[in-house]
Amino acid sequence: MRRAAGSADLLGAYRPGNSWLHAAPLGLKAGALVVLSAAVLVLRSPAVVAAAAVLVLTAYATAHLLRESWRPLRSMWPVLLLLGAFQWWASGWEAALLVPGNIALCVAAARLLTLTTAPQVLMDGLVSLARPLRQLGADPERFGLTLALMLRSIPFLLGSARDVRESAMARGLERNPRALTVPVAIRALTVPVAIRAVAYARQTGDALAARGIGERI
Amino acid sequence: MPAILLQNVSVLPAGGAAGEPILHPLSLELRNARTAVVGANGSGKSTLLKLLNGLVLPDTGSVSIDGLDTATQGAAVRRRVGFVFTDPISQLVMPTGRDDVELSLRASIRNRGQRRAAAEARLEALGLLALADRSIYDLSGGERQLMALASVLAVDPAVLVADEPSTLLDLRNTARLRRVFASLPQQVIYTTHDLDFAADADRVLVMDNGAVVFDGGPREGIAAYRALALGVR
Repeated sequence: MRRAAGSADLLGAYRPGNSWLHAAPLGLKAGALVVLSAAVLVLRSPAVVAAAAVLVLTAYATAHLLRESWRPLRSMWPVLLLLGAFQWWASGWEAALLVPGNIALCVAAARLLTLTTAPQVLMDGLVSLARPLRQLGADPERFGLTLALMLRSIPFLLGSARDVRESAMARGLERNPRALTVPVAIRALTVPVAIRAVAYARQTGDALAARGIGERI
Repeated sequence: MPAILLQNVSVLPAGGAAGEPILHPLSLELRNARTAVVGANGSGKSTLLKLLNGLVLPDTGSVSIDGLDTATQGAAVRRRVGFVFTDPISQLVMPTGRDDVELSLRASIRNRGQRRAAAEARLEALGLLALADRSIYDLSGGERQLMALASVLAVDPAVLVADEPSTLLDLRNTARLRRVFASLPQQVIYTTHDLDFAADADRVLVMDNGAVVFDGGPREGIAAYRALALGVR
């Protein structure tokens, strides 16, 4: 299974570096992300979105990651375009710019967090956040482990979907529209992905169990 | 070396399905520093190995490691018995080797700085520190297998169990893996189709159709496997 480029575009695998943003505490970065996202979503003003975009781009530039700033758009643009068209039809040009713009901005800002924060630091942060839940019998370490598994699994699943699509193409399914009715296409693409996902989940579970990770002792 | 005891152990097909047992009743004591298990595909090698750290539980009999039963004390057993899978991509759950080794160490070292230093020491010991921050997808097959091994060894298991660790490796990486295995202080039990690798062991078990059909020294064990698989001596 190869890595899915689209998922890396969207999620942002950690890029080691020495910038101020890499060195900034996770709490500060997460807090800034929440404030920025809340501001653009609540205020719904083109001026606020523009100011936030400048801020996010500046943060990317000073983290020496400016080339990364546009990458989420590479996989998101069809959805954003559709959303913008719908908003323009339903509510006018301002909504057509604001709604997709807000989403792209929030994704870019969240991605900057994962690009500049090592997975272990993210895990430690989530474990700290979940620590009060220990009073209710929850295991904070499991929250961190869940985050790690999510970050690992999404690229796998996207790569799996791409492999299945290419495998269908290799068998000429897309060149034979008669053979590829919508129900057949859905079955041909979703069933193998679902089976691979279950197999992957079992393998991952075995791998964790084999190392005693996630077990209560 | 830790005492691994299998007493009248059998494994039946999953869900009570009809058919031959996956593992026929078997009693073994494993104390040798290096034990190799050889046999055809589907002969029960992987099932036998998975019994040793509780990934598979026996339908009859019991498996114990230094007196710890895999069925009732699974978590304690898995702290003593590390398991390396054939495909390291299944085993490595974090984006980089450093992260994966640190994940293994989270339960024992809470402090992030100390955990990082310990992870680096373990990677250094296997000559992998230079690859620590590389994506696991960008490593070669051999580097990936060694990284998976480093993640398992990070928790200092007393026993290392490896299921066909050299199957996906080329000649050079197999030789590197064999050197690493030879240098480990742990008791090592591994399956392999590589008879040179099997010859490194002190003891060889030959499996066929869910049963151990030979148990002895490496030279005799390899001869017995050749005779079984190819009908030659």
